[in-house]
Amino acid sequence: MKVLVEVANKKISNYVDCCDALLLGLENFSVLNSVTFSVDEIRKITKDYPDIDVFVKMDKNLFNDEINDVRHVLQELEQMSIRGVFFYDLAILELKQELSLSLDLVWSQTHMVTNYRTCDYYYQQGVHYALLSKEITLDEILAIVKKSSILSIVEVVSLPSVGYSRRKLLSNYYKDLEEDSHSTLSILEKITDKKYLVKEEDEGTGIFLDEVLNGTSVIKPLYEAGVSYILFREEGISSFMELINDTKNYIDGGCVDTDYVSKYKKLGDSTGFFFKKTIYRVKK
Amino acid sequence: MKRIELLSPAGDIERLKVTLLYGADAVYIGGEQYGLRANATNFTIEQIKEGCSFAHKLGKKVYLTLNIVFHNEDMDGVEEYIASVVDAGIDAFIVSDPFIISYIKKNFSDVEVHLSTQNSTTNYKSVEFFQKQGVDRVVLARELSLSEIADIIEKTGIDIEVFIHGAMCTCYSGRCALSNYVTNRDANRGGCAQVCRFSFGVDGKKDFTLATKDNNLARYIGSLIDIGVTSLKVEGRMRSLYYLATVIGTYREIIDRYYDGSLTEDILETLEERLSRVANRAVSTHYLLKEADEKDQYYTGRNEASNQDYLGQVISYDKEKKLVKFYERNYFEVGDTVELFTPKGERVSFVVSKLYDEDMNLLDVARHPDNIYYIYLDTDIEIVAYSMIRLLHH
Repeated sequence: MKVLVEVANKKISNYVDCCDALLLGLENFSVLNSVTFSVDEIRKITKDYPDIDVFVKMDKNLFNDEINDVRHVLQELEQMSIRGVFFYDLAILELKQELSLSLDLVWSQTHMVTNYRTCDYYYQQGVHYALLSKEITLDEILAIVKKSSILSIVEVVSLPSVGYSRRKLLSNYYKDLEEDSHSTLSILEKITDKKYLVKEEDEGTGIFLDEVLNGTSVIKPLYEAGVSYILFREEGISSFMELINDTKNYIDGGCVDTDYVSKYKKLGDSTGFFFKKTIYRVKK
Repeated sequence: MKRIELLSPAGDIERLKVTLLYGADAVYIGGEQYGLRANATNFTIEQIKEGCSFAHKLGKKVYLTLNIVFHNEDMDGVEEYIASVVDAGIDAFIVSDPFIISYIKKNFSDVEVHLSTQNSTTNYKSVEFFQKQGVDRVVLARELSLSEIADIIEKTGIDIEVFIHGAMCTCYSGRCALSNYVTNRDANRGGCAQVCRFSFGVDGKKDFTLATKDNNLARYIGSLIDIGVTSLKVEGRMRSLYYLATVIGTYREIIDRYYDGSLTEDILETLEERLSRVANRAVSTHYLLKEADEKDQYYTGRNEASNQDYLGQVISYDKEKKLVKFYERNYFEVGDTVELFTPKGERVSFVVSKLYDEDMNLLDVARHPDNIYYIYLDTDIEIVAYSMIRLLHH
């Protein structure tokens, strides 16, 4: 099992010694990144650091007028040593098939990657990786890993994204207030008393739970099940490099160091949906 | 040229029949499993059979939503369920999961598959992907402009369905788990708690809201017909009979008048006014003509109004005694001006002159919703069950 890091900083040399793989947001075609990279920058990173797995994030909802640019970008990425492209929009899979690209893809439809049969469907379509939904339980994740041929990626530490809109929700809010707009806003959900972060960018607006998803305690079962990568998103996580270093050592040691799990209780007690099953029927 | 389809929601068998009678060409319904309205009434297999039989006799169609985002456990039994729904006579499944799409296409060649808007399809290239998987129709994302929709139709030639009326999601459909995080109710499995209509606190400022106005494309039906859209979809499987009768009846008239050239500006304004009388939120066209902005959202709380216009649902009409028998829905009184409209679109306005209770006692007011009353009405129009009575003014 490898450690995959979504970076919040362009200084790649900081990361290469302590993780196995990088997730780089591609400028104009990815959403909710702290930093994005151009195709040329990604090309340089793959050349400078040939021993690290590079994944490229192209997870925005695409529109007609972007398709030709996406086609061109995929053809460029095809020439590089890229482990895979995270995609949300099926146009990317269609283009891979149409252009007969060998470039591998990662099915990354946020909240929709939730069962083994659909994972296998994508595998048969030539998609060899899936970033599993954060909104399913650990048992569901383990069942997918066991039953599906797809190679699983599981997000274990992040400020979890909970929604994405094409609307400019902050610009609109501040227009109504007749104030200058800001790109981030902290909001409070009053019933649960939990804070969320709203972030606006050119492509739309994302909403994050302002509470760290702490999946350090599930790394061991994920390792034992044969998960391919665990994903750490840097944005909003303090002492991130230390966490990544420690995690790498923990995995290299076979996930037996109980001090690791104890130490990272400091990230908080939110384990997301790993141990909490959602409901959907509220009456009979 | 094939006429555009008017597609109505139906939360139960009665709504299915009423919306078809009021002019829908097809209805979409939810079964007891796998639909995105887990908390609606929903249809049993027997009711699906009854609904399909009713629709097919009228030359109309029934589609079933099978558009949840499936978890492992949901896969147990889904194949048997699909087979039983096909046996019940369904014309199409509305699906978001590509595995389910491929399963249906492989095993049931006579039934159509429509790609759900839950997939947020926003471009022609992703349409092409699903076209190759055998999808017969794509319900496009609600984030598209008229020219983007036209471009997709031109490039792919596939049947395209567009939402024309009803509530909107704030986020891309499927790309939202607010409900999961705030209420633990799974948005993508039919449990959406509509958290985007909540109000959130902000330090030192007015509350932050994300809520959107409702969608209303009545003025652009002609444009959607002209660019080659196949189906016009109304949102709202949990809406009332009166709402559906009014909305579907009104869009039926807009479509028919557009085709026969009788849709004047005056008539369109009257029809828009009719739609506005049953709306409980303000409306906008969102992305159809421009990028959605602050005018398409609410910043003044939920601002919803309950509708008091709906006075009664007709049970029958006695032509000899000239008495309309109906279930009362809202308070009204002798002297009020009301309108009765029928599923065929006929309308008659009149002042309530005589009002009786079920025992034929003369009354001044009808004040008990769900009770049966009679009003006197002398008219030549054909008044049938499921005609509706609405208030024009007190």
